[in-house]
Amino acid sequence: MRITAVDPRAHALGLSPGMALADARAILPDLAAHDAAPAADQDWIERIADLCERYTPMVALDEADGITLDITGCAHLLGGEDGLVADLEARLAAWSGQVRHAVAGSPDGAQALARFQTMPAASEAAALRRLDVAALRLPDETLVALRRAGLKTLGDLAGRPSAPIAARFGEETTETLARLLGDLDNRIQPRRRLPAMFFERRFAEPIARTEHVLEVIEDLATEAAAALAERHKGGRRFAVRLFRSDGQVRDLAVETGLPARDPPTLMRLFRERIDALADPLDPGFGFDMLRFVVPRIEPLAPTQLQLEGGAIGDDAMAALVDRLSTRVGRTRIRRFVARDSHIPEQGVLSIPALDAPTAPVPAWQPLDPGEPPLRPIHLFDPPQRIEVMAEVPDGPPHRFRWRRTLHDVTRFEGPERIAAEWWKRIDAAGLTRDYYRVEDTRGRRFWIFRHGLYDREKSDPDWYVHGLFA
Amino acid sequence: MTAFAELVAASNYSFLRGAAHPHEMVAEALRLGLDGIGLADRNTVAGVVRAHVALESAVKEAAAAGLPALPFRLVVGARLVFSDDTPDIIAYPATRFGWGRLTRLLTLGNLRAEKGDCELHFADLLDHHEDLLLIVLGKEQDLGVLQRLRAACDDRVWLGVTMLRQGRDRRMLARMQAVAQAANVPLLATNDALYAGPAQRPLHDVLTCILHGTTITTAGRILAANAERHLKPADEMVRLFRDCPDAVAQSRVILDRITFTLRDLSYEYPHEPIPYGWEPQDWLEHIVLEAAHQRYGETLSPKVEALLAEEFHLIRQQKYAFYFLTVHDLVRFARAQTPPILCQGRGSAANSIVCFLLGVTSVDPVQHDLLFSRFVSEERSEPPDIDVDFEHERREEVMQYVYRRYGRHRAGIAATVIHYRPRSAVREVGKVLGFTEDVTARLGSTVWGSFASKLEDRRYADAGLDPTNPAIARLKGLVEQILEFPRHLSQHVGGFVLTQDRLDETVPIHNGAMADRTFIEWDKDDIDALGLMKVDVLALGMLTCIRKSFDLMRRHGLGDHDLEVDIAADDPAVYDMLCKGDSIGVFQVESRAQINMLPRLKPRSLYDLTVQVAIVRPGPIQGEMVHPYLRRRSGIEKVDYPSPAPPHNPNELKDLLGKTFGVPLFQEQAMKLAIVAAAFTPSEANQLRRAMATFRHTGGMDGFRTKMVEGMAARGYDRDFAERCFQQIEGFGSYGFPESHALSFARLVYVSSWIKCHQPAVFACALLNAQPMGFYAPAQIVRDAREHGIAVHPVDINASDWDNSLEPDAAGVLGLRLGFRQMDGFRRAWADALVAARARGPFASVEALARRAALPQRALRLLADVDAFGSIALDRRQALWEVRRTPDAALPLFAAASARELGEEPDMALPLMSAAEQVVVDYKTLRLSLKDHPMSFLRAMLTDEGISSCARTSAVKAGSRVRTAGIVLIRQRPGNGNAIFVTIEDETGVTNVVIWARLFETVRAQVMGSRLMLIEGEVQRSPEGVVHLMANRVHDRSALLDTLGEDTAVRVPLARADEMVRPVPPRHPRDARIVPKSRDFH
Repeated sequence: MRITAVDPRAHALGLSPGMALADARAILPDLAAHDAAPAADQDWIERIADLCERYTPMVALDEADGITLDITGCAHLLGGEDGLVADLEARLAAWSGQVRHAVAGSPDGAQALARFQTMPAASEAAALRRLDVAALRLPDETLVALRRAGLKTLGDLAGRPSAPIAARFGEETTETLARLLGDLDNRIQPRRRLPAMFFERRFAEPIARTEHVLEVIEDLATEAAAALAERHKGGRRFAVRLFRSDGQVRDLAVETGLPARDPPTLMRLFRERIDALADPLDPGFGFDMLRFVVPRIEPLAPTQLQLEGGAIGDDAMAALVDRLSTRVGRTRIRRFVARDSHIPEQGVLSIPALDAPTAPVPAWQPLDPGEPPLRPIHLFDPPQRIEVMAEVPDGPPHRFRWRRTLHDVTRFEGPERIAAEWWKRIDAAGLTRDYYRVEDTRGRRFWIFRHGLYDREKSDPDWYVHGLFA
Repeated sequence: MTAFAELVAASNYSFLRGAAHPHEMVAEALRLGLDGIGLADRNTVAGVVRAHVALESAVKEAAAAGLPALPFRLVVGARLVFSDDTPDIIAYPATRFGWGRLTRLLTLGNLRAEKGDCELHFADLLDHHEDLLLIVLGKEQDLGVLQRLRAACDDRVWLGVTMLRQGRDRRMLARMQAVAQAANVPLLATNDALYAGPAQRPLHDVLTCILHGTTITTAGRILAANAERHLKPADEMVRLFRDCPDAVAQSRVILDRITFTLRDLSYEYPHEPIPYGWEPQDWLEHIVLEAAHQRYGETLSPKVEALLAEEFHLIRQQKYAFYFLTVHDLVRFARAQTPPILCQGRGSAANSIVCFLLGVTSVDPVQHDLLFSRFVSEERSEPPDIDVDFEHERREEVMQYVYRRYGRHRAGIAATVIHYRPRSAVREVGKVLGFTEDVTARLGSTVWGSFASKLEDRRYADAGLDPTNPAIARLKGLVEQILEFPRHLSQHVGGFVLTQDRLDETVPIHNGAMADRTFIEWDKDDIDALGLMKVDVLALGMLTCIRKSFDLMRRHGLGDHDLEVDIAADDPAVYDMLCKGDSIGVFQVESRAQINMLPRLKPRSLYDLTVQVAIVRPGPIQGEMVHPYLRRRSGIEKVDYPSPAPPHNPNELKDLLGKTFGVPLFQEQAMKLAIVAAAFTPSEANQLRRAMATFRHTGGMDGFRTKMVEGMAARGYDRDFAERCFQQIEGFGSYGFPESHALSFARLVYVSSWIKCHQPAVFACALLNAQPMGFYAPAQIVRDAREHGIAVHPVDINASDWDNSLEPDAAGVLGLRLGFRQMDGFRRAWADALVAARARGPFASVEALARRAALPQRALRLLADVDAFGSIALDRRQALWEVRRTPDAALPLFAAASARELGEEPDMALPLMSAAEQVVVDYKTLRLSLKDHPMSFLRAMLTDEGISSCARTSAVKAGSRVRTAGIVLIRQRPGNGNAIFVTIEDETGVTNVVIWARLFETVRAQVMGSRLMLIEGEVQRSPEGVVHLMANRVHDRSALLDTLGEDTAVRVPLARADEMVRPVPPRHPRDARIVPKSRDFH
């Protein structure tokens, strides 16, 4: 196991990413280590990238921990580059983590400065030339070779003829250098495809009430409808992006089976969507910007819907479950799944029918052909205590009293011995059960068990009826 | 009462399926009063010898206690698990012949499968069924199998049935009765036992989870529903099988039909090495006498005559002639190779004149008396134990010779049982119980010495876990149960078992992990218990080094030598060198503790070296025998022999301890002490010896402690002395060091010292070429060589070979030229191509080198990186610049040929590489620098800070307080862990630092993390002038190294012996004796 990231304290103590955890532990036995969560890290950086989309749709991720914004023509809205940076820093102040940033003429230059600049410089060009060759982000082998050649900063490279360098360290090296210094034009690839059509509204005072939000959506939907109608188009998907003043971003999206643009229809869908949210639309300190996007646009052909629809196929059951679950509550419609346990009452689980089983469900134990079922169809929960006359130590019951009625056992089979799950009990004990299938004089069949092995676990074990056979 | 024997019982040798040791199964069956037990593990007989030994010792104990003979029987066999859909079948050989059929059947399955597996088909059984009794664990649908077996094997087939309380047991029993009737075979009652008692169910569940790679909470129905698969008493079985009493009675029938026991495995040595018509003893005497005359001349001295007569008598009496001839044959083979393979025997034969004359050992017993002249004891009818060490690089040739000579059907390597050790047990059990890897890693990482076999409570506390917490307590309980469980079989490092008859009719054979290796499934103890012969063909790095030294000496006209060089071992120059503690690289006495001991012990003879080798060991250290020995040897303390009270002979220990000044140092002395002073019988002493070898596994030494201490006290010995003697025996535990091994090692100490003393350049060169071995990294070996005035030259394209080589200067003095093998990542094939191309004249340019030697870019870059272009006046930076544009000559021929001539380029004006940078890059690429020491570039700054050099630290008055900084070479935490030893180095020398454990806990991060360490402390000096720096404070100044040049971390070569980097010796404790682990002490 290797370390992927360290906090400043651990770094100060000499730990660094790439180190084996065992070595780190040798240095610091009480080191607190947490599993790396690349998915969560990715999620986190994506959320920050979402936040940044308030400034420009041209947002790209740079490796796992960087974001590059193309702010060409956007900065004036916030009072220039400094204003934009100040606004962004203020918004990110609430997020945990450290932020380094740089503004530069080329995306590569900005990335390099943000990551590698160690000391201030008079100009962008000077700062770039002072950067270590590591800023080229080339393979380690190339970096070592550059340093061994005495070429340690970008300035060392930039001041020398490029042909010999390219011959030795590859065209990639000289090209990267040129991009970084802004000598070669480069643009970022935004992480999201720019939507076909979008409409924005910014608020001087953040809005918080859901009704307000819906009003704004309706306004924007009306604008969109007009724009779509002009082109004889409709949307199949409509999304609303809500930018919270603290930087969080919420998305709402609705889809339609056929292209649509009619604002009342859209609004009904949005209302349902909001009503159906598991947690309500949390505005925090309010939303300060709202963007209405139509990502999928198709021609809107006015065709007649067929009333008698398609055939009810295999999905009919699923559809029924969906509808019932939506109507009466998802936890009310349930399905049984087998669980892998010897303990009878734990051998089955009921879960909401909508939830797909998370783990592969073990199959029910198959019955040998011709064999009677060993488990009853009905289990009492909890098992019901009975009084029994039985042989010791582990003989079958002769007679038992259940619900004040005496039952004489005429036939029996067993015992089926099921031991307790020792690992679930702190004292590692637990009583073993001896199950019998018994039949009384009137032909009724019971599933009863002795709770505890006579003498070995308990001096006078109790008996229970656990189930009834059909 | 009805008789019953459990005949379907597995042990933990059914790896991860059985949950009890074989001896536990036997003990429980005895306790329950069963008639017998049948041990049958899954496609193996690996555990049966242990059960057999357990029963024999129980029988002996019963006899000793005056109880009537036990009627109990152990029958051994295997559970055949087939890879087709045949049900499991238990096979018990009824006769010795049947045993051979079973082992051949298993061998067939083993050799057919990948390592560790056994692939059996039903047809194989039909080919090997003779004299096997078969119990089929079938179901209804297996009627066909039963009928075919019944047809083939007649009345040797049973159908095994269980009543494991699965609900419908009786119904199933009735059906099985019908099946049995249809097949006309009897039913046999059994529990299909996997453990001794129901309390072992949790352990079995855990093992099941490990087997299936799951956790206890998710395992579900993989686990057994209940705890019924244990041994049950006869009356319980009768009650369970009341519907079918005959099934219980059949167990007795089977028991009575089996006559085979493991005692029937009579053993015969291979007959090969004898010419036709000779008797083995006569032939042995013949060749020994011939050798004797050759060595000692026509007339043999009375001493030689007497020694020979005594040994011949013993060999004849014990019929060991074949054994000696077999060993001689191996040695003869090794010597006959061109070039010959060096080898040397050790063990109980080390002081045998027969072995010396046969060339097995190189210690002349006429010159060097040992305390224990007997190389084989009469009372122990065990085969003699001769280990032969061969050069480690060429041992495989000897092993393949053994296979060739005796055939794979007659030769096999012994097994080594890999056990659960604390680390693996915690990890795997922890995983099953759902502990995160974080917790188990923490627990595992606190086990510093990996051979601590008990996870003491302290370890849990160290890891910040509360041992009284129930979940932790459960983990602890299960870990303790699983410790010492066998995990899998592996092959022994080199112990061969050879037989005259087919080996696979004695024991099954497996495929080894290495190609061309096969091994048997019994380990050393099993082989001992059954009296099979084992020859240890071991590998020793120092022999490789010595052979390379001799080769170099021959090549440079320094004489033709072999292991018998200076056989008298009395060259004062050699001892003078050792007494100074100048022993880096020398066999066995090069560790820091040994170097410190040399000036104190002042060895002057081979026997002194024997003591030197044996004294720095846990045994003498724990027994506190070291200081008394040194004081008496130097005459500070009077030599006296502890004596018993009258009427016992007051001088009874004088003979025994005379040579070691009354202080017991060797394992043999401790054993003999038990016999003489504590009145142990020889067989009790033998038990003690065995307990010693295994007590770390099993405990059980306490009984011996009482017996020994009380026995000695009763005879009037000082109780304190008795106690120390016993502590010493305990210390021998897993690192037993007998005199007979120490003497053979001492001889190699002498030979390696002799070479180092007289030909230091040769020695350094050979040592580098034999790497990896020994205690030190190449940097330290080179440094030592330079301190001895040897000129060391850098790697160069026009001078170096693959190996390091010797280069005479104008005056003919040999210097050392580093070879390409010192370069990380440089391939032998490149070096060979380069040297071959160089035969046509030196290279004048990088391009010429690339073209003529057809080297790829990568090779050229590595050469430039190590600054190997000095002879064509290119420094590292220029060479690298040049190399990187040289076309890759390893490309197809036409591509290289059509590559353009390299044109002129503009001057790049590359900056010069600073000296510090050069050194740093040297360390990175070669792990050593001939230019300078990294510390010297920091010296001015360090001096400003008031930090003294290592040389100055060694020179100041004892008691001075100094601050010293250096590069960390070795960190060790020996023995009881009271102190941590660190050696640091700078350009002036080394300083040995002691950090007490209490301080260590507060500066752990600095000690473990530093590459450059600054220590503040007080200088201590022993009377012999050994200097230690006792640390008060420790600082990590590694950052300074990073200021020297390149801005990436400087890698400092730690010595190979550094324990922090590699805390776990990759070796099984039972093999530890091969190269006894040296332990520091203070």
